[in-house]
Amino acid sequence: MTAFASFRGSAAPSLRTALRSIGFAGLGLIAVVVSLGDVIARLPPGSDHVGPPLSPPSVLFAFGTDLFGRDMVSETLHALAVSVDMAGMAMLVAIAAGGLAGFVAARLPWGFGLVMRWIVGVLTSLPALFLAILCIGLSARGYAPLYAGLAASPLAFVRAFDRAQELGSSPHAEFARATGVSAMSLLRRDLTYEFRAGFLAVAARALAAVTIILATVSFFGFGSAPPNRDLGLMIAASRETYVDAWWTATFPAIALALLILFARLAAGLEEGERP
Amino acid sequence: MWLVRQFLKFVLGLLGALILAAAVAAASAHGSHYPREVLVRLFDFAHLNFGTSSISGLPAAALVAHRLPATLELMAAGAIIAFLVGAPLGVLLGRGHALRAAAPLLQLVAAAPVFCAGLGLLWLAARVLHWTYTPQPLPWPALAEGGHNALLALNALSLPGLTVGAAGAAAVQLAVRRAESHAIEEPYRRGLKLMGLNSFEIDRLYLAPQVFAGMLAGFGEIVLALFSAAAVAEWLFGWPGAAVLFLKSVALHDWNVTALVLLAFASVSLLADFSGVVAARAMGGVDAS
Repeated sequence: MTAFASFRGSAAPSLRTALRSIGFAGLGLIAVVVSLGDVIARLPPGSDHVGPPLSPPSVLFAFGTDLFGRDMVSETLHALAVSVDMAGMAMLVAIAAGGLAGFVAARLPWGFGLVMRWIVGVLTSLPALFLAILCIGLSARGYAPLYAGLAASPLAFVRAFDRAQELGSSPHAEFARATGVSAMSLLRRDLTYEFRAGFLAVAARALAAVTIILATVSFFGFGSAPPNRDLGLMIAASRETYVDAWWTATFPAIALALLILFARLAAGLEEGERP
Repeated sequence: MWLVRQFLKFVLGLLGALILAAAVAAASAHGSHYPREVLVRLFDFAHLNFGTSSISGLPAAALVAHRLPATLELMAAGAIIAFLVGAPLGVLLGRGHALRAAAPLLQLVAAAPVFCAGLGLLWLAARVLHWTYTPQPLPWPALAEGGHNALLALNALSLPGLTVGAAGAAAVQLAVRRAESHAIEEPYRRGLKLMGLNSFEIDRLYLAPQVFAGMLAGFGEIVLALFSAAAVAEWLFGWPGAAVLFLKSVALHDWNVTALVLLAFASVSLLADFSGVVAARAMGGVDAS
């Protein structure tokens, strides 16, 4: 059991393993699509008036066109690439500032760890979305991935901190201390075991969390900016037209939901669980 | 002793939220010494002076006090839906292998971000139900009046309430399932069966209170989910609440208002967490520590 394992009573283990495999396979597929995005997409991002405005899906434009006559297939692919890029960076920040920092903080001497635990504990009383928006507002929207990662980290920090404390008082730790093993070596050993056992799940959990935060932040207008639109901003831009032209919001929304779904499945998250 | 420890945790949380709010409010002081400014804001907060809005010039406290009830009303409507839908769903999904195996399929629904769900509801209302949504502030008093006003109020609450409720239901059913999965493995169930009680009686008399207590223990987490969803619903449906005030104040760098909204939200969340854990403990529930 890692610090990030979920509760008992979930789906049967074989089903859970199958779902996690589907999640990783889906993420792999998205990575391939994103890396080949410039080849698959017929047009560069922001190419307007390539077709009639608000044209429904057809043979020529498989996902239709938007208000400015942009090809929705190309725009969705480019937006997916931007979303994945931003989420990837934010995920690394979330892992470092969350799980890793929480684990290390629990072993800090002179009560520093407890002070950090208190500070981060206060941050968990606010939704991660609000924290991300606050940080972006205090600096600049270009740092959205950094702040999305930091905003997603408090919960992971607290979980990792509590897990590290639990491990610190376990029999193996007491034995190691009694035989003269240094605190640093013990920390290294525990970190290695923890992350080796659950790194992929931790990364997928962080990816799900930051993708939701980044998309919502962009939807509110605090995240990515044109011409590098992400999926959240693309959906926000379709607000005026989507009631009559459903395709302008549906395809970006499906792409976003698939990215989150695969990350959640890979992480083994239960529906409703905070990533 | 346990209660004192929980209360201390709650008070320390509030203190942290106060410091965080002071740090945010101090961002509006350009050019002055920042740590000193944070202390000045803390001193002001202690004297219930929360400053004025840099946009409207009105006292920040009055602005937030005017908007907060609308958010709490929306969250209350969402919470009702969340508990009505989420609790039975959690109980059902926690039972039996078939239903438990079906639970991950709900991931398909859970993967849609709240704003996508809200947009979907708006689309359904406009295109399928041919129904015009009209936002209306503070609808609960109108609900009590009855008649035409109550219908208008219901119309105003419906879509934002459903959006918040859907997000809350996911959190509630998870809390219920988590509590049920713990309670169902308790050894006393086997003993009670040997004593001749049937499963229904055991569930009604022993399991249900434990599950309810477990749900209460996760109340803080449910409130956080409701807050996030309220921000999206207020933005999407033009609901005049404090969450959308937060978004606008951040966009306009109105830091006094931002700080006070954050303080209010953190206080509500900490209070929900504290009261939920205490209530769960009072009921003898699981994991209330």
